[in-house]
Amino acid sequence: MHLPGASAAPRASRLRGSVVWLAVILIVGAGATAVAAAAYYESRSNCAAGTIKVTDDLGRQDCIPANPQRVVVLGPSIMDSMYRLGLRNLVVGVDCYAPDLGGLSDDYSADQIALWNLSSSMCVQTGPTFDVETLIALDPQVVLAATIVSVADVEQISQTYHIPVVMIQPSTLEGVVADEELLGEVFNVPSAAGTLITTLEATLTEAQDLQSRLAANETAFPSVIVTYSTDSDGYWTFGPGTFGDSLIRLASGTSISSNASLPYPELSGEQVLASNPAYLVYGTGFGLNESSFTSAPFWSQLSATQDGNAVGMDSNYFTEPDPTMVLIGLPQLIGILHPGASL
Amino acid sequence: MGDPSATGNHRTRSIRRRSWVLIVLLTLLGLGVFFSPLLGTVQIPAVTVLRILLFRASGGALFPDPCAGAAVPASGCAGLIEIVWDARLSEIMLAVVVGAALGISGGTLQGVFRNPLADPFLLGLSSGGTLGTAVVVVFRVGVGEQNLLLPLFAFVGAIATGAVILAAARSRFGSVETLLLTGVALSSFLSAVLSLLLLYSPSGSLQVDFWLLGNLGSLDWSQDGIAFGVVLIAGALLATYGRELNLLQLGSDVAQSLGVDARRVRVRLILLASIATAAAVAFTGIIGFVGLVSPHVVRRVAGNDYRVVLPGAALVGAGFLLAARDLSLAVFPGTLLPIGIFTSFAGAPFFAYLLFRRRQVSTMGGA
Amino acid sequence: MTGGADTALRLASVTVRYGERTALQDVDLEVPRGQFLALAGPNGSGKTTLLRAALGFAVPGVGHLELFGDDVQTLSVVERARRVAWVPQDESPRDDVPVLDYVLYGRYAHLGWLEGEGREDRDAATRALRAVDLLDRADDGILSISGGERQRAILARALVQEAPLVLLDEPTSHLDIAYQIDFLTRVQDLSRERGVTVVAALHDLNLAARYADRIVVLSRGRRVADGAPTAVLSEELLARVWGVVADLRRDPRTGAPYLLPHHLVAAGAAVPGAFLGRGPVHVVAGGGSGAPYLRALTEAGYRVTAGALHLLDSDLEAAEGLGALTAVEVPFAPLGEEVRSKLRTLLDAATAVVVAPFPVGPSNLPNLEEAARCLGRIPILLVRRPAGVEWDFTGGQAHALEERLRLGGAREISDVGEMLAALAPSSGSPPS
Repeated sequence: MHLPGASAAPRASRLRGSVVWLAVILIVGAGATAVAAAAYYESRSNCAAGTIKVTDDLGRQDCIPANPQRVVVLGPSIMDSMYRLGLRNLVVGVDCYAPDLGGLSDDYSADQIALWNLSSSMCVQTGPTFDVETLIALDPQVVLAATIVSVADVEQISQTYHIPVVMIQPSTLEGVVADEELLGEVFNVPSAAGTLITTLEATLTEAQDLQSRLAANETAFPSVIVTYSTDSDGYWTFGPGTFGDSLIRLASGTSISSNASLPYPELSGEQVLASNPAYLVYGTGFGLNESSFTSAPFWSQLSATQDGNAVGMDSNYFTEPDPTMVLIGLPQLIGILHPGASL
Repeated sequence: MGDPSATGNHRTRSIRRRSWVLIVLLTLLGLGVFFSPLLGTVQIPAVTVLRILLFRASGGALFPDPCAGAAVPASGCAGLIEIVWDARLSEIMLAVVVGAALGISGGTLQGVFRNPLADPFLLGLSSGGTLGTAVVVVFRVGVGEQNLLLPLFAFVGAIATGAVILAAARSRFGSVETLLLTGVALSSFLSAVLSLLLLYSPSGSLQVDFWLLGNLGSLDWSQDGIAFGVVLIAGALLATYGRELNLLQLGSDVAQSLGVDARRVRVRLILLASIATAAAVAFTGIIGFVGLVSPHVVRRVAGNDYRVVLPGAALVGAGFLLAARDLSLAVFPGTLLPIGIFTSFAGAPFFAYLLFRRRQVSTMGGA
Repeated sequence: MTGGADTALRLASVTVRYGERTALQDVDLEVPRGQFLALAGPNGSGKTTLLRAALGFAVPGVGHLELFGDDVQTLSVVERARRVAWVPQDESPRDDVPVLDYVLYGRYAHLGWLEGEGREDRDAATRALRAVDLLDRADDGILSISGGERQRAILARALVQEAPLVLLDEPTSHLDIAYQIDFLTRVQDLSRERGVTVVAALHDLNLAARYADRIVVLSRGRRVADGAPTAVLSEELLARVWGVVADLRRDPRTGAPYLLPHHLVAAGAAVPGAFLGRGPVHVVAGGGSGAPYLRALTEAGYRVTAGALHLLDSDLEAAEGLGALTAVEVPFAPLGEEVRSKLRTLLDAATAVVVAPFPVGPSNLPNLEEAARCLGRIPILLVRRPAGVEWDFTGGQAHALEERLRLGGAREISDVGEMLAALAPSSGSPPS
């Protein structure tokens, strides 16, 4: 019987092994190349005639048709701007969770739905993403998207279906103002934008003036906690870097959570009791009212509640970065913290 | 008594039966692909859909006015065509590719680990992929190209996790137990890192949660092509290891004595399965149950020969995901729910059924 | 022995360690082509380790193994599969694979990457199934056939591998007696008719003796015996390596030796094998007189033999408890020819004889006669009989024989201490 020597089988298996590793390298290489190529191509391309190049809040650039007539808005904060700029009629689609599951009312309060005359037929289903088919059917010329949306998905829309997207995501109150200018540019309504900007800046200036006056009189800023939700463990509030925190600061208040380590921390009952803020603001709207908060730990022991300084405000005023936050939210908060101060 | 032709008949019968199973599965999948474009979030009459398909497929020769007689939305017939041809077909193709990848990976890992409960995410690939996604979302990496970067980071994250496992597999400690333990440890660690990362970004947290549910979306045809190509290569290579997987079921030592380099083969299989899985979930997020259930369906019908189980599981997985999509649209019209929810809805009771119906002397019996 | 392609398996100074434990210690072995070799040894002696090393599973720390002239570690896994096939100790398949497919698994090493099983492979499977008489079970599931049939199927799988060397690890341990004989007969045919080299680890020495050409005995990782069954198997080996007292017989039909085990060497007795290299001392005794001398000798490190003793004699129990080889006769019967012959064998091997003060009757008188034959060749120590005790029941013949011993140079001793002193090398007794 002859002896087996080196045979074909091992060679084939070695070859198969090399193919595998080669495949891995090729895949990753191809992917990286694709990304680089896309980025390069995009940064070099010019916009077609009849379109303008717009840079949005995230630094993205897209070509928007001049005078767009059909707009999809993803985010109540943007809807607010559009309404105030008189552009409500251009809006053909808004975000909402699946029409059968919650629908409009998950994102928009009853007041907002009434004020802006929204209906579920305008729904472009969303969570962090949205329904492509409905979007296409609505034939929008531009999509305005806020923080709740997945950036990757909107970029997919933009590149695959050639519907330009503008991300309206201000990170500061000044950014809110800048966005009005951006919208004015996109929709070619410079005067409406100018008016709105003036009003916004006036309010902001008045708040700053108040702050200077208080500082000059050496009046301490009252301590306050703004809580949007409570449970048996404590109070959920706004930490540094959030709009809620900025609003409190601009309203000449001292948030007891402004030194927290997280942007949306939960302060324990003990912590709140120890800080014992002079004012407590609880967020209403979306089914929440005072009774939703009273079972929080040490609620009745806080001097704010005992002194009658626990007040409710629409939580949207703290979470949606839009003109309403500045024009309504800010004055209301100032009114709470500084009763009698003229604004 | 028996002559060579007796065993020859047996072989032929067995091969023929295996081929039949695959042909049937392929046919069912084809039917699914054919009917799926009829369903979508926007209601389009079936006739219109078919006309649109033929119109585009023939390059405009057939049915030049495909939307005739149908209600047309604001975007006009062009919009309907775009919905059917670009959005739906792309989504269907993605479902087929991802389902196939998950099915064949699940079957492979069940064979490598000799464990009927193994699924493609056994080795912690899901944690790695999720972390990759989270990094892009939280740190706003590469805004402008995120639709390409997100899948790439997810893929790299998943593959990197797989690479660590593979390093363990190639070492002296490359036993099955070591691999599983490494996967579990890695998974826990990465999940912890992920949680920490998301604490600082609630909106990122929202997006990552959504990603974890698994979503079919429509992609650029080029992206579909990449996914298809990767999965095809990895899947085809995996399918050639059917014989080795059969032998591995006898145990590493016996397999080695018969000529299978158990450790090296396990490494290759894990690598290929990781690639296929990573490529799939890069675009859709984590979709569960497909990889777990599909191989079992094939085994029920065709026995435990991995030369059939692997390609069969790919076909079943593709069909399963497609069916989940269609079911979701049928039950909740006008919405596209995260697909992972539906695969769990369908998969869990089906798996329970499979368990209860197992025969005594059955496939994958015992521990 | 050249060690080239004519040597199926070769171990050169192989040492294998698992952590702190040494499983094989400096083992040399050459197995020529076509031989049927049985590996024997108690549990933990290294049989399985040797087989695993031959398969490439265990890597020797020292030394190397060769399969048909090539170092095992340099061969690829597929090449190894083409040279050596393995029938493991227990294989519990999990899936109900058809027997035919199960057997065809063995063709893996002969198939290319995408190659399916062809005519040649199917024919090999058919031949193998026919050789193990399982052809009619080809379509049945591997889990649905009996244990014996399954073992045959695994053998068939090893056959289709068409490897010139087949290793079997305790292949019959889970089989009933009919299947054991059937299986080993087939394996033997394999070796004789097809020239396949077989190395089988067998714990049943009698089966090994009956079927194998050669037996290699391992004890604690070392090779302690190697040769044809008749040459290797002995009562002494069984006591030394396994700690079992047995009788060696010869199978009248096959001529092969077989062992009848009796009982274990008593716990607390000096470990058989821990001998200090001195030759055996034979003790002639009976009626309990020899026990103290047997024990003392064993504790001092001597190997002891005893006889001839009758069953039920307490000295016999003592002797066997110490692992001594003994010539044994049926109670009260005079010493038969076979027993006398054995007694002579023991005396021929002895380096000294101690005659204990045993009661002598007609049935055990020949003990003294045979002891007398050793005069002049080896020292004979005669224990003084206590005064006043009746011990000669032979009408004076025993007295006369003991007188002859004394006159012939036998030394008188009174007790154990004197015995040991007399036997010590410095006392001038002939070297062992």
